[in-house]
Amino acid sequence: MLSAVSPLYSASQSRAAQNAAVLVADGIRMAFGGVVALDNVSIAVGVDELLAVIGPNGAGKTSLMNCLSGFYRPQQGEVRFNGSLLSGMGVHHIVKAGLARTFQGTHIFSNMTVIENIMVGRHIHMKSSIPSAFFYFGPCRREEIRHREVVEEIIELLEIESIRHQPVGSLGYGLRKRVDLGRALAQEPSILLMDEPMAGMNTEEKEDLARFILDVREARQIPVVLVEHDMGVVMDLADRIVVLDFGRKIAEGTPLEVQKNPAVLKAYLGEGNR
Amino acid sequence: MDPAGVFATSFERDQALIRTRGQCVALVLLFVALVILPHVLGPRLVAISTNMLIMAVVVIGLQINMGYAGQINLGQAAFMGVGAYATGALAIKFNLPFWLSIPFGGCAAAVFGFIFGLSAVRIKGFYLALTTIAAQTLFHFLILNLPQSWFGGSNGLTLEPAQIFGFSFVSETSIYYLCLAVTAAMVFGAYGIVRSRHGRAFVAVCDDDVASGLMGINVVRTKATAFLIGAFYAGIGGGLWAYYVRFVAVDQFTLFHSIWFIAMVIVGGLGSITGALIGVFVIKAIQESFVTLGPSIVAQFPSLGGDVVFAMMNVFLGGIIAAFLIFEPRGLMHRWNILKRSYRLWPFPY
Ligand SMILES: Nc1ncnc2c1ncn2[C@@H]1O[C@H](COP(=O)(O)OP(=O)(O)OP(=O)(O)O)[C@@H](O)[C@H]1O
Ligand SMILES: [Mg+2]
Repeated sequence: MLSAVSPLYSASQSRAAQNAAVLVADGIRMAFGGVVALDNVSIAVGVDELLAVIGPNGAGKTSLMNCLSGFYRPQQGEVRFNGSLLSGMGVHHIVKAGLARTFQGTHIFSNMTVIENIMVGRHIHMKSSIPSAFFYFGPCRREEIRHREVVEEIIELLEIESIRHQPVGSLGYGLRKRVDLGRALAQEPSILLMDEPMAGMNTEEKEDLARFILDVREARQIPVVLVEHDMGVVMDLADRIVVLDFGRKIAEGTPLEVQKNPAVLKAYLGEGNR
Repeated sequence: MDPAGVFATSFERDQALIRTRGQCVALVLLFVALVILPHVLGPRLVAISTNMLIMAVVVIGLQINMGYAGQINLGQAAFMGVGAYATGALAIKFNLPFWLSIPFGGCAAAVFGFIFGLSAVRIKGFYLALTTIAAQTLFHFLILNLPQSWFGGSNGLTLEPAQIFGFSFVSETSIYYLCLAVTAAMVFGAYGIVRSRHGRAFVAVCDDDVASGLMGINVVRTKATAFLIGAFYAGIGGGLWAYYVRFVAVDQFTLFHSIWFIAMVIVGGLGSITGALIGVFVIKAIQESFVTLGPSIVAQFPSLGGDVVFAMMNVFLGGIIAAFLIFEPRGLMHRWNILKRSYRLWPFPY
């Protein structure tokens, strides 16, 4: 299945050859009134690594995602994506620069079918103007078909062939998250951020999604930042783990290192005792 | 949607609008019917049909703006009016032929609509509705207060018939064919737009603007573009109207007309070009049958008086719209799709 991936993706493979961090956050502070959601957090996402960000409820994981993707502007510190500063860039410019993310919960276009949703992911790669759309036959139609082929590859990768014409609103949570992932992949991002994609899933759905995330990494060779609430889920997936608690980074390292870290155990056990 | 057992074998087939032989035959039959219509129907019905064709263009524009991009617009009649006045002024002052003045009229309406679109993109729902009503008010104010030599002020504009190669579109039949050609082209274009990346962007910003931004869609520009396209369609409809009636006046483009356009979109079904066409047909047919029935009802019950009967008709039509909003908010097109789905799956229940 993976060998069927089109040469369109080879661009991201050559990028993997360079050995530098793609996304760097440096000394970020983010406060909402009195609540400090992030306090002097620094992380660097390397080329082709799967970085998991974990932490108990309210630790600041979503806030970090929002800063990394340019949704929030941190009050202190800076975020650089491929060397350029994110602050001041509009969200749709950041997306065009190659950053894709999925949201906690579903932010999917429920009135559209699965195919249409993923086609929206191709938006930034499509160029047809309104006049050419008006005439449709000709360049616009050729472009539609070309991109539809890319979408079809993603549908195959995520094994959602049988539901491709269904409105997303009628799908269960697990499938919606898969479509969400497909839509992000359609953007051909050079980095993918996922905020708690597995929250609210049953074990089987979690395993499926974990498998797809691994497939995607193998096919695209892009770095992935995965936010997770549950430490167990990411142990097998992640190359590296960052642990947040009360807005601070309390640990960072390989899954094994993090598992043994007393500060992490305290944060998680502390949560368990609450 | 295909009947059971028919599956697309290529992406081209899958994206095509006309997918079965039956659909193709139906389309050809519809077209033949539309072409021979003026030779079969009486002059009054031809006039009504011409009216429907013009309204179809305006309502398709509203459908793109409201049904696809989710921007409620109570100013569509004003946008139509801008198109009609611009077309009229260009034809009278600059002697432009209709095949230039109508497109330019559309562009003038598009500019007017885009300005409102830009100011409206950050507002939602009720307040957006109020803002678009302002378009209506502004249009009336400008026409009545600009120098009379520009747009005729309260006297309106009177046009010469449209002409091409020495042929004048004077007769009811000829103007019907002119409207049919333009409307067919505009309907074709609308299907293209809504199937393209632009159409998907419209639905996306309507569904979820946060997620749309995340897809690299410029939300502000997309919403303003929806207004621009909607107003362009209104303007083209207005241009046709100007050459059809050959007299343009402000009271042809009131808030009342805008509300009717919205009613047509709602009854036909939001988010479907075919639905917009059905909505125009159904509402206009009901309106016209009331106009025809009215006098005979008055004759039957003279004690009621004409005023009461016509007032009751508006109440009745309003009731139909309200009933749609309550019982079938997704319109007739949705009902039709449900029917089609059960046909596709027949004889199995799901
Ligand atoms: N927009 C906001 N306005 C006010 N406070 C906020 C906002 N966003 C986050 N917070 C606060 O910041 C803190 C961190 O929230 P955040 O959503 O980043 O946590 P999280 O780690 O994603 O939690 P969860 O596991 O529940 O998703 C919380 O105390 C939260 O109440
Ligand atoms: Mg969160």
